[in-house]
Amino acid sequence: MSRSNHRPESSEPSWGKRSDLDVLNRDIPRVDGPVKATGQAVYTHDVRLPNMLWARLLIHPVPRAEIESIGLEAASEMPGVVHIEALKEPGDAVRYMGDDAVLAVVAAETPDQAADALRAIEVKAKRLAPVVTPEQALEEGAPVVSRRRNADSNVGRANERGDEALADAALAGAVAVVERSFEIPVQHHVCLETHGHVIQPAPDDEPVTVYASTQSVGGTPRGLARTLGRDASRIRVLTPHMGGGFGSKFGPGLEGALAARIANATGRPVHLMLTRSDEFAIAGNRSGSRQTLKVGAGSDGRLVGLKLQADKLGGVSGGSLPGPPYIYTVEDEAAVSSKIRSVHTATDGSRAMRAPGHPQASFAMEAAMDELAYLLGMDLVEMRIRNLESEVHHRQLRRVAEEIGWGEHPHRDRPGSAENGRAVGIGFGVSVWGPGGRSSRCDVTVRPDGSVVSATATQDLGTGARTYVAAIVAEELGLTVGMVEARIGDSDLPPSVTSGGSVTTGSSAPAIKDAAHKARESLEVLLEDVLEAPVGSYVWKDGQVSVRGDASRSLPWIAVCALLREPLVAQGEFREFLHEGRIHGAQAAKVEVDTLTGRVKVLKMVTCQDQGLPLNRLALRSQINGGMIQALSYGLLEQRVFDEQDGFLLSDNLDLYKIAGAQEIPEMVALIDDEDERPSVCGMAEAPVIPGHSAIAGAIHNACGARLTRMPFTADNVLETLYGKI
Amino acid sequence: MKDFELKLPDTLAAAVGELPAAYSRDGAQVLAGGQDIVTVMKDDIEQPAALVSLQRLGLDGMKWDERGGLTIGATVTIQTLAEDARVEQVLPALREAARSVGSPQIRSQGTVGGNLNQRPRCPYYRHPSVSCFKKGGSVCLAEFGFNKYAAIFGGGPSYYSHPSDLATALVMLGATASITGPDGERQVPLTELYVLPEETLDTETVLRPDEILTSVSIPAPAADARASYLKYKERASYDFALAAVAVSVSRGDDGVVTDARVVLGGVAPKPWEVPAAARALVGKRMEPEAWTAAGEAAVADADPLEHNGYKVHLVKGLLFRALEALV
Repeated sequence: MSRSNHRPESSEPSWGKRSDLDVLNRDIPRVDGPVKATGQAVYTHDVRLPNMLWARLLIHPVPRAEIESIGLEAASEMPGVVHIEALKEPGDAVRYMGDDAVLAVVAAETPDQAADALRAIEVKAKRLAPVVTPEQALEEGAPVVSRRRNADSNVGRANERGDEALADAALAGAVAVVERSFEIPVQHHVCLETHGHVIQPAPDDEPVTVYASTQSVGGTPRGLARTLGRDASRIRVLTPHMGGGFGSKFGPGLEGALAARIANATGRPVHLMLTRSDEFAIAGNRSGSRQTLKVGAGSDGRLVGLKLQADKLGGVSGGSLPGPPYIYTVEDEAAVSSKIRSVHTATDGSRAMRAPGHPQASFAMEAAMDELAYLLGMDLVEMRIRNLESEVHHRQLRRVAEEIGWGEHPHRDRPGSAENGRAVGIGFGVSVWGPGGRSSRCDVTVRPDGSVVSATATQDLGTGARTYVAAIVAEELGLTVGMVEARIGDSDLPPSVTSGGSVTTGSSAPAIKDAAHKARESLEVLLEDVLEAPVGSYVWKDGQVSVRGDASRSLPWIAVCALLREPLVAQGEFREFLHEGRIHGAQAAKVEVDTLTGRVKVLKMVTCQDQGLPLNRLALRSQINGGMIQALSYGLLEQRVFDEQDGFLLSDNLDLYKIAGAQEIPEMVALIDDEDERPSVCGMAEAPVIPGHSAIAGAIHNACGARLTRMPFTADNVLETLYGKI
Repeated sequence: MKDFELKLPDTLAAAVGELPAAYSRDGAQVLAGGQDIVTVMKDDIEQPAALVSLQRLGLDGMKWDERGGLTIGATVTIQTLAEDARVEQVLPALREAARSVGSPQIRSQGTVGGNLNQRPRCPYYRHPSVSCFKKGGSVCLAEFGFNKYAAIFGGGPSYYSHPSDLATALVMLGATASITGPDGERQVPLTELYVLPEETLDTETVLRPDEILTSVSIPAPAADARASYLKYKERASYDFALAAVAVSVSRGDDGVVTDARVVLGGVAPKPWEVPAAARALVGKRMEPEAWTAAGEAAVADADPLEHNGYKVHLVKGLLFRALEALV
């Protein structure tokens, strides 16, 4: 193969004028849609290797205990058991529900044999006080479950900002002041595919193959190198398809380390995927929070002062919550003060989850915006616009307001009331995100037979990444998407980024574009002798190349490729100018509340979102819809439930940990903000999950006057807010 | 889940013969659609050494009598009931109850007999590591713990709420169950099929371990009766009832209620009939005032726990909505 070393002098890659695009900025069906829809796509869960062992974890049922003994004898003699090991010894403590509660691991010839063996393990343990609620964690004399060095309580150091006295003074002068306390529960990621790996060991001179459900194909070899006892370069990680991550799958985790250990110990392939109940116990979550927010506004609606006290509830981790004021601005920044601390419980640590901390901050801040508007008799949209700096937010709010029928809505500056127990309301919320872009590489290979491969070690979490890996190249070379093969999900490919913080598109798309552009210019060098026009003066369109301005001088794609004596490989890298990561969104929700039964039915949700050039409008709308659905589910249903007496995690299943299903889904409108004409690309995944539940809470308030200050908005919550607790 | 033996008897007598006379955690049990018993086994609540399938017993028929009464075989699927045109016309409350069960997959596999005999959904009961009264233990953790879904009527010492939608509708419809055991067949009105935890903890019905519920018979409803079943699912897509109401109302020519029946679901360890609510309707016109009064009467004896007081509001609201829909 020849490595192209042609450095284009004629042009830098560019996304081009939108009106000139034939592939991008259109609806592109996912290239892997058919194999996914027909069940042919092989996820990590589906990998079956000859002689493979099935591994299962034994997790202690309560968060805190002192281990007296772990009896493996009976279990080790069970049929099919090949490997069994205890992770705790007598006298060890179980300190929290999470990795530390994993007591043992078993690998057997079949999954059922592994499960049977787990049940046969005899654990004797003294159960200790659970410490699963912040109240329990803050009690006088509570056991210290914090993992901070030398911790003497379960409270982390407070992050204090601003001057409380200045905030108080500003609030004292405000025309309208609202003060509320909010309770936001822990949310689970609920990836359709649970965490885990299939690891195929290998002799020292061959690479170990790891199938991983990971957001970091490129980082996973390093994460497993020590456990596998070999250099990362001799570990190949494959993630051909993946069932979601949402921030919970950045590293191999304990489950990956154990799979590696068993593979090493037995020399056999090991399949270790968490069960759904394991997943709820040890695979992370979005931290909860408790916030008391006080905000004041002047008669013109402008915010004049703000005070926040918040506890982040991230279990044994810190949790996340951005500082106030969230997105909105307070005229005098000195009039903002906040005190945010972590309160630790003996529960699984929070991990990154789609816009970490942001939905929590949004919930309190949007509530304050609603309530201040009502106190001032101001339209909910106008109130927001007056406190948002960005014109983009202004136009997006107006757009979603129009789409949801705000202009005709009968009560825009005060809550409505129920008629015969039914009330309809509308609410709003906004989002921001800064999707990064950083070093990423891509190889585009053009073969003499006309076939094209676009290859980069990114991973498609279900977002549609694989499709643009092909589509960007197709656009540049005037081909159809189907003519370009996208290769991803393999750590041997040119390195790309870990998918977190919405950086995947912003990092990988510029590198793909760069590679495609280099390939094009290398081909144009060959064409100089044939079509007799200099590099940079060709039009690549509809499977043909022609000289700009002279369509008679043209060649079909296949003839162009026939000029190659060997495959052409163009290496692309991240180009900063092809990326810009500053995005905005606005959402509106319309609900019907039955004030007799407490039923909240979301009728419609609308999002307007910018992101620069939309690579694939269909994928973009899908992801916006997904954000709305995840936020709706968070708002309406999701709640982790621990028994507070003994500490059993009761919601370790999808019966009790309820997520939205088809019947919950409203009419959804995903609007791409086409007034954003930036010639750049970036990811967008996180923004649309931020404000949906806030907009729904606002709509409930707008419908019937009930401000729900805790989530989820289930019947008990709605009825108790309306009529009081019985 | 432990291995078990699947028995496929060809006759009812043979099926009964496979069942044990006395209850034990590993005794053989009946298998109909498997939507509940298999989860009970997977959650390690019971470990029957054998499952006795009703598949070959021909219990999957529905038969109407000439007056409009209906007998439903135990292995008729819930989906069959939900899709039956005559059921929709004659017994709309039953149809609604059937439609409200689970998901399409569960309805297509689950049976009428299985639905009536399903075990509690209390999260403590279902948790493999929790011991409770219902599993031979000596405590009900729901009493002072997470009891949002628990009973507000008839609880103690255990506080589960009965999960069956069909049972609530069938009690309201005055149905009778046919039960076959070693001593032959007996008829048990559905009002007497279920027992409270204060009477027994090992089971929720009067069925003995060696008896099989083979069918339920519903008398023809009164010509002037209008009935409905309304269920509140926290997760609308598929869920058990937070609360449900089955209600039937007859009115005279003058529009005044002459007869009524109100049965609540999801709020007690068995379908919970509230005659006081029915009495509050009789002699009244079908108007909001009467519906509100019926609601108040329905919850007068409620005794909620820490986290399920909302069910008091909810029952009132649901009954109002169910009655409103009958007008």
